[in-house]
Amino acid sequence: MPSESELATDRTEWGPLIRSIATQQDRTAFAVLFEYFAPRIKAFMQRSGASEAKAEEMAQETMLAVWRKAGLFDPASSGAAAWIFTIARNLRIDAHRRERRGGVIETSDAEIEFQIDDSPQPDSRLAAAQSEERIRSALAKLSADQMRVVELSFFEEKAHAEIAKILGIPLGTVKSRLRLAMSRLRTLLSELS
Amino acid sequence: MSIEHHPTDTMLAAFAAGTLDHGQHVAIATHLVSCPQCRSFMRSMEHVGGSVLTSLPPAVMSNDALAKAEARLNEPVLPAVADLSPTVPETEVPGLPKFVRRYRFGNWKWIAPSVHLRPIMLPYASDTRVFLLKSGPGTRMLEHTHTGIEMTCVLCGAFSQDGAHYGPGDFDLGDETVEHQPVVEPGQDCICLVAMRGELRLKGMIGRIMQPFIRL
Repeated sequence: MPSESELATDRTEWGPLIRSIATQQDRTAFAVLFEYFAPRIKAFMQRSGASEAKAEEMAQETMLAVWRKAGLFDPASSGAAAWIFTIARNLRIDAHRRERRGGVIETSDAEIEFQIDDSPQPDSRLAAAQSEERIRSALAKLSADQMRVVELSFFEEKAHAEIAKILGIPLGTVKSRLRLAMSRLRTLLSELS
Repeated sequence: MSIEHHPTDTMLAAFAAGTLDHGQHVAIATHLVSCPQCRSFMRSMEHVGGSVLTSLPPAVMSNDALAKAEARLNEPVLPAVADLSPTVPETEVPGLPKFVRRYRFGNWKWIAPSVHLRPIMLPYASDTRVFLLKSGPGTRMLEHTHTGIEMTCVLCGAFSQDGAHYGPGDFDLGDETVEHQPVVEPGQDCICLVAMRGELRLKGMIGRIMQPFIRL
């Protein structure tokens, strides 16, 4: 089997691969996406507190959802990585709820709770390529510490206290650092748009 | 009138990250329905999520992971059976996100002169209670403070607070450090969606007398 680096890199264009799954059930495209994203989704789930086995299962589920929902991927409104992130995020929410309810299988609901765009006002979305680029360069301008708190806010189930412990700084500092990083990010985003 | 009061960037980020408590998620979603500006920032944060995802050091998958996934690609997909019809029509409560209008709503209850409350039953366990609060024009809400976080989003009508105007879409955050006394502006009822964590504490003599009866 070819190693991941031969199949895909950070520079790979993911969007066309997802389109190819949508239009021609392209299994090769799926394999390339899987090799790159599944291990990262697993890491994401483990950081969110899932066991190794559970995290692997959720990575599987996310990639299967990518296959099934490929037709819904709209390159004009979101980047491939962002789209896959939202699928993983929604599955994480659903799994968390199932756990609290004692493992009863139910339909996925979290997805619906993020559909808030069909309001009368026009949405000021940018073309995905432009916005991906914009966000990448904004993130590149954050300091390493700021990036670290921004990153950790995606795993925040455990609250800021844990972040403080991980970083070895007082809780108040985490909160102010996160606020600062966010407002810096907002400024950078508005400057670049 | 345009929206002037927004959730903080960290709240919008937590929304995009999917880490908010369900009741608070509902409150932020309600603001997002009417605020394109915050929606755009929230979508940007989803891209940050994508960026975080791709920058994580990859975990090791089991050897047969891909083969297992491939074997399942042709599995039939069960159609979702969720009931998608709204329980509360848009005309009755304008500005609510669609998914919230599918929840079960309780009846309006009188809680104080010209103030009514309508609970929204959340389908998932949450530490936050969510309800609609309807107050008649000119109502001076009892001065209060909180033991937890209270998120308020105006659906219709308006109130003023500390010299600022809060109209449809405006968002307000109260916590134990804030004491406020909103006054409903004249003309029409003001309906807000409120997500409340912890207890509301009414201040002053009247408040202390009424507190046991209101039990917010």
